[in-house]
Amino acid sequence: MSSRAEVEERVSFFRRYVFSVDHKMIAKQYLAIGLFWAVVGGLLAYLMRWQLAYPDTEVPGWGFIGPEFYNMLVTMHGTIMVFFVAMPILLGAFGNFLIPLMVGAQDMAFPRLNMLSVWTLALSSIVLLISFFIPGGAASAGWTGYPPLSAKPIYTGINWGLNLWILALALEFASFLMGGINFLTTPINLRAPGLSMFRLPLLVWMQMTAAILFMLSVGPLIAGAVMLLLDRVAGTSFYLPQGGGDPLLWQHLFWFFGHPEVYVILLPGLGIILEILPVFSRKSIFGYRPIIYSTIAAGMLSFTVWAHHQFISGMDPRLAMPFSLTTIIISVPFALIVFAMIATLWRGSISFPTPMLFALGTLAVFLIGGLTGIFNGSAPVDIYIHDTYFVVAHFHYTLFSALFFAGFAGLYFWFPKMFGRMMSEALGKLHFWLTFLLFNAVFIPMFFVGAGGMMRRIANPMQYEFLRPLQPINVSITIASILLLLAQLPFVLNFFWSLFAGQVAERNPWQANTLEWSAPSPPPHGNFETVPIVYRGPYEYSHPSVPEDWLPQDRPTMPTLRQSSGQAAAV
Amino acid sequence: MAETHVMAIGVDTRAATGIPTGKIGVWWFLASEIVLFGGLIGSFVMSRLGSGGWSEMAAHLSVPIGTINTFVLLTSSLTMVLAFAAAEKGDQKGMRTWLLLTVLLGLAFLIIKGFEWGSKIGAGFTPMAGSFWSFYYTMTGLHALHVLGGVVVNSILFLSALMGLLRGREHRVELAGLYWHFVDVVWIFLFPLLYLSWSRGGR
Amino acid sequence: MARERVHPNYVGVWLWLVALLIASVGVTTLPVPTGVALFLIFGMAVVKAVLVALNYMHLKFEHLLIYAMAIVPLVIFFVLWLVLYPDIALH
Repeated sequence: MSSRAEVEERVSFFRRYVFSVDHKMIAKQYLAIGLFWAVVGGLLAYLMRWQLAYPDTEVPGWGFIGPEFYNMLVTMHGTIMVFFVAMPILLGAFGNFLIPLMVGAQDMAFPRLNMLSVWTLALSSIVLLISFFIPGGAASAGWTGYPPLSAKPIYTGINWGLNLWILALALEFASFLMGGINFLTTPINLRAPGLSMFRLPLLVWMQMTAAILFMLSVGPLIAGAVMLLLDRVAGTSFYLPQGGGDPLLWQHLFWFFGHPEVYVILLPGLGIILEILPVFSRKSIFGYRPIIYSTIAAGMLSFTVWAHHQFISGMDPRLAMPFSLTTIIISVPFALIVFAMIATLWRGSISFPTPMLFALGTLAVFLIGGLTGIFNGSAPVDIYIHDTYFVVAHFHYTLFSALFFAGFAGLYFWFPKMFGRMMSEALGKLHFWLTFLLFNAVFIPMFFVGAGGMMRRIANPMQYEFLRPLQPINVSITIASILLLLAQLPFVLNFFWSLFAGQVAERNPWQANTLEWSAPSPPPHGNFETVPIVYRGPYEYSHPSVPEDWLPQDRPTMPTLRQSSGQAAAV
Repeated sequence: MAETHVMAIGVDTRAATGIPTGKIGVWWFLASEIVLFGGLIGSFVMSRLGSGGWSEMAAHLSVPIGTINTFVLLTSSLTMVLAFAAAEKGDQKGMRTWLLLTVLLGLAFLIIKGFEWGSKIGAGFTPMAGSFWSFYYTMTGLHALHVLGGVVVNSILFLSALMGLLRGREHRVELAGLYWHFVDVVWIFLFPLLYLSWSRGGR
Repeated sequence: MARERVHPNYVGVWLWLVALLIASVGVTTLPVPTGVALFLIFGMAVVKAVLVALNYMHLKFEHLLIYAMAIVPLVIFFVLWLVLYPDIALH
């Protein structure tokens, strides 16, 4: 339509790339922020791992790291990875890009609010970045920021670094609250004609559940963060025992949000996998509705498990059993989803392009992560392994699977749609195998080191007699982790090279069914040339009534099918 | 039969549930605010229960001032919903009048609160003077920020109405009203929690 | 934007709200045990909140989805309150 092309031409550079209200551009802005912070977070991990393997030596390319600096590394690595990499990429980028396309809408329900959300995240990023450079340095009380350590500047020696940390988090929460409003309202109200809720792609269901979990859990932490800031700057004593406060209050407020938060990160990752597996098995998802019901059940349960992070905190011991119970129960819906994924693969016509490799990698890694979660969830076991590297290994398995494996799967899969070009398969496969092997080389030994008693957040394991025998394992983990970081270079190369010189992508290079593949690659402003009408669910692969092994959601029902099958069944 | 009409950018008035999209958006926002205030209020209630009641500190709050402020906010809820009713009927003048009254009552609430805070701080009851006061200033402060936000939004609506810009967009009055009533509901609970919950001797 | 629903009596609701406000303050002057007083005061607060929610926020007339968006957060923060109680209230 010529007038639309004219409208696009006339939009200035700033309106198109900086102050855009288009969900696709906003998604790319979120992706850019997430990838930037991923590099920073990875660098911090390198510094940490070197210090652990070769304590009190000079880190190549950096210098000497003392224990206070190590505390800052640990804190910022966690904060950055959870809040500035995982959420921007999995929700901000994939959610924003895919939700309007998958529901057949032109854009999100509130495009200007969407723009405000990514700008708020940008502001939050700047605040966090500044905190590195002010006197005293950045926050160093752990990503969990427990008081009393975090409540009085004199305890950490950090004053404005921690205050800015709190501020940056508050802004990040505000950003995703705004985003969440769009993520929920758009699928609820802006679905294309014929697209009932039970014909939505599972990714949309996962993003919606994640948004609900975030919106309904972050409030108490915002309140708690305000109280922490007041303790730090206004002399109140919400969390300081000497003033009548209680440090446990913070822990409850933090983890009440903190636990749903990990599912906020996990669910979009699972959603990505659930889209990719059927495409490369040429087979429908097994158990579409049970997966949805399990997701909802897991979402509800996620509000009832949080104190499993607090088993040794000194909280009321009577809370240990109920929270162990709910934690064990929540593994059931996730197990169902994993089984459904395996059943989807079963007897499919499986092919292994890079997105599929990463999807299968996600499944394998998540399985280990989930199983080790059960050890942590049982209070008697957790009393031993809490605050050891066993927990660190567990959450890296779950988080890494959701963020890195699923994130890469999604990037390789939707890159053609987002940027109109294909990525290199060879580099992609190299990236996958290196990442998968090296990731396990880093984190499997960590379970053993943790079970052997190595505590979290210590800067120098050699200071402890009983840890010295484990030091060779620490060294091997460090070497593997450096190689793992280097193994991301094929991806970086692939990503940027393909952006400019990749093979031009067609509309539907993977021959998939969901609505985004009916739009051009990349879609223009407004997404679809005509309003899509939806006739069926999203996973009709290898349907017997059509010659191709795929059947898009918006292809009209063929009249001849009714005659030949003799039934008025919708196809 | 597939319809084929070209999508004009920016004119997407779909509502698959039949509920106006803006209303769903505002309610999601309110849902997150419910948990925010719920968490803060819960922390206060539990801390108070665990510490003997803080009655001596709470006794210093002025019930008359609190009551007047509650009355002001309740009435502003009435004027807000009357603004919406006028908007629905197409009564532009009535809508403007009620919106203006809502703004003024909101400002009155804030002014009375500011005066109250000033007199308490002057008497030495700062946020550092004890746990009750820490919570008092945090809770009423967060609430007052929300009132301020509502006053700003309502003022913008009033000015828009004055300039005739609200024609065809009167549903925005309803959406702003939802937020304003929520702020009122929070105060409905804050008032007894802070001003009326202390035990007098002999009870 | 035309609506077919009947409007609640907004002024009537307001009169009830003011009456309940006065009654709440009045309870504090009564010679009843603290527990009874608090029950009455907060009971009235709940009634006031429900009046505002149903009538001014029009929840009475809204779709089930909107109701859910109002109720579910309440349930969730009560879970938080329940768990905070043993740790914070009982120390």
